[in-house]
Amino acid sequence: MSVLYSCSHLDSPHSPLPPTYPSSSSSYHQLDKLYFCEECDAVRCDQCVAVEIASYFCPNCLFDVPSANVRADKNRCARSCFSCPTCESSLSIQASDVPTESGQPGPPYSLICSGCRWSSKEVGWSFEKPTGIALQLQKMNHQTEIVQSEFDSLKEHLESYISLSTPAPSAPSSIRSTRDPSRQISHLTQMAQKALHRDVGGMVAYSARSKGRSTGKEGEKEKYGWDELGVYEAKGSWRAGGESVLDGVDILRDLEDSGAGGMAEVGKRWGKSWDNSKMTKDVLPQRIPLQTKLTKRCPHPNCRHLLIQPDTKSIRMKIKMVAANYLPLVEIGRRRRRIPSNDMNEASEQPTTEELERRRRERRRTRGGIPIKEEDESMGLPLKRGETYLFQLALTNPLYDPIQIRLTQPHAAKDVNTWCNVSIPTQHFTINALKDAWAYDEEEEEGNDDFLIGGSEAGFSEEGTTTTGGGSGMGTLGKKSRLSILGGQGTKKGRDRETGVEKRSNTSKVILLVEVLPDNNTGDRVRFDLEVRYTYKSDEMATPTEPGEGSGNGEKRGKKEEYKNFTFWIRIDLGVVE
Amino acid sequence: MGAFDPIATYEKGTYIETDTGNKVSRKATITGATNIILGGKSIIQTGSILRGDLRRSTAGQHVVITMGRYCLIGEGAIVRPPGKMYKGSFTFYPLRISDFVQIGPNSIIEAASIGSGVEIGKNCIIGKFVIIKDLAVILPDTVLPEGTVVPSMSVWSGNPGKLVDTLPETYQEAMEAKCKSYYQRFRAT
Ligand SMILES: [Zn+2]
Ligand SMILES: [Zn+2]
Ligand SMILES: [Zn+2]
Ligand SMILES: [Zn+2]
Repeated sequence: MSVLYSCSHLDSPHSPLPPTYPSSSSSYHQLDKLYFCEECDAVRCDQCVAVEIASYFCPNCLFDVPSANVRADKNRCARSCFSCPTCESSLSIQASDVPTESGQPGPPYSLICSGCRWSSKEVGWSFEKPTGIALQLQKMNHQTEIVQSEFDSLKEHLESYISLSTPAPSAPSSIRSTRDPSRQISHLTQMAQKALHRDVGGMVAYSARSKGRSTGKEGEKEKYGWDELGVYEAKGSWRAGGESVLDGVDILRDLEDSGAGGMAEVGKRWGKSWDNSKMTKDVLPQRIPLQTKLTKRCPHPNCRHLLIQPDTKSIRMKIKMVAANYLPLVEIGRRRRRIPSNDMNEASEQPTTEELERRRRERRRTRGGIPIKEEDESMGLPLKRGETYLFQLALTNPLYDPIQIRLTQPHAAKDVNTWCNVSIPTQHFTINALKDAWAYDEEEEEGNDDFLIGGSEAGFSEEGTTTTGGGSGMGTLGKKSRLSILGGQGTKKGRDRETGVEKRSNTSKVILLVEVLPDNNTGDRVRFDLEVRYTYKSDEMATPTEPGEGSGNGEKRGKKEEYKNFTFWIRIDLGVVE
Repeated sequence: MGAFDPIATYEKGTYIETDTGNKVSRKATITGATNIILGGKSIIQTGSILRGDLRRSTAGQHVVITMGRYCLIGEGAIVRPPGKMYKGSFTFYPLRISDFVQIGPNSIIEAASIGSGVEIGKNCIIGKFVIIKDLAVILPDTVLPEGTVVPSMSVWSGNPGKLVDTLPETYQEAMEAKCKSYYQRFRAT
């Protein structure tokens, strides 16, 4: 059971494809994960926003790593944060058990895991100081560092060649290279082959070789006039002492001793696949990967407004444009199953299709006059084929002004196959404005809804903007939320009494009738879409109103106030069919 | 927030309501109550244990557990200060819990500090000297080893617990509303 909101991404907002199209699901998200761009007047989601990294930090020591250092540190904490090779918990630094002369714990220090009691003594790591472990380790130059330094020097070797061989290309050669895209790839492959003194796999290399064979010596003459790449002298040779064979014997011996459990899982070796050993005892602690704080922007090329701007120093957000501050929250609940009066004594467990069809027609007919019994049910229970359910749809207004709602079905066309028929008895209704909690308390005490008129109105709104942000959204609440400062008195007395609507503070509940179709399969998820349009008071008085909108909606108010519509689409999932 | 959230009720007289609006179950075990500070509007449910008696061994007044506003200690949860050997003797250290913190049923807490807006699911074990920064979620059945640091806006799960997700930017408001709403719905029958 869920209610998800649609994001049209960079398209102009439109009704998404029906839920029966699996591809349509990618545009639906929870409301609390959506953003709102005021400039575009559109919903944005994590899939479409433009993301930039605002800052890097270590999740363990919480140190903010300057972005200039991140690359050299290889995106990992360069201080003393390591993760356990067996359980991935962060390791802590422990002083030696041997008491020093002063009685204080002292060196040598080791890394221990408080999750599984692994100790770096197992891999022979011990440190003189309890700080800067990563640096001390680098100086100790372990196996991984040897591999790393080999890689670095190979990279250096190739880079010197690349920088030499890429002067501004002359016109004919650039034309040639654009005509032959494989040239660049084969170029790279050949470089790698030369450097490694062995064949490097790959389509291009293969085709180049076979071409060479077929054309014979003629082909060789055709060689592009490349610079010769100097021979790379490896720091250490893989061939030395034929140790790979002995390694194999050692591994088998180790395996015999340790059993299959001695073999490290692929997941633990994944991050360091250049290392040969597959044994658990050789898996070393890794520096902890850094985390980021992200800045998010509107993806529209003509907009690019900031939607999220974190404060690198605290948990506050400097800018926070989230959809939850603009769009009503929609929730579904209070499930009831409709039991027609003549069905109540029937106990047929497995009704036939004709029987279900008959009942359906029966129900349609009896909907008018005869009272129908309804039974409360748990929301989690599977739905029954051919039954009609009543749900309550609750919409909560996030704005400091009342809004008007219109509920419709976007895919009304009959050719769209669906799991259920939905009817909305009350399609038009209003929702009261958001107020401070104490204002609602008063309202409850008075026992009526006509609380909008009164001396507290002017006072609450200004204070309201500063408190409801929970501290972090402060100053970023949208124009819409601040409306009530400008706005006059709220709804008129008696207007809150609407039929078919249950109102409580800034929430309105309406009924939704859902008939689960008889031809559903067991395990089908009953889903349907709704189009929600809300009309709100806008404070953009100077700007001309968009055509067809903002023309008011029958309420007599000052001419200064403009009304605008916003339409969004939601997908409701009611659960599985029994 | 939670238009369909049910009212959570308790039998009248089974909870004591303090001047600052705390609701404390008569069936909660609270030892060393003078060493415990509650911020107000917090709920301590049936069967939970708060060990205010585990105080620093030196003389004088020591606050053992402080708790902010709108906190919830779930049924059967155990909250006790962390302790370790220091200069040859075993010492307890204070445990600080900020505002809007919910601790799920049957969880065991020995953290050093828990920031504001933190939700700890049911059956969790939060090890000694764990530091949970503001705004974090510990999913049910998570075990955080001793000394784990949980950064803001992160979600943790598993045994041992690992960082598995980050929270949406709306989390702070949602969590505060959830805590306030629970407090308002927690009423005597
Ligand atoms: Zn999107
Ligand atoms: Zn925009
Ligand atoms: Zn670190
Ligand atoms: Zn471990």
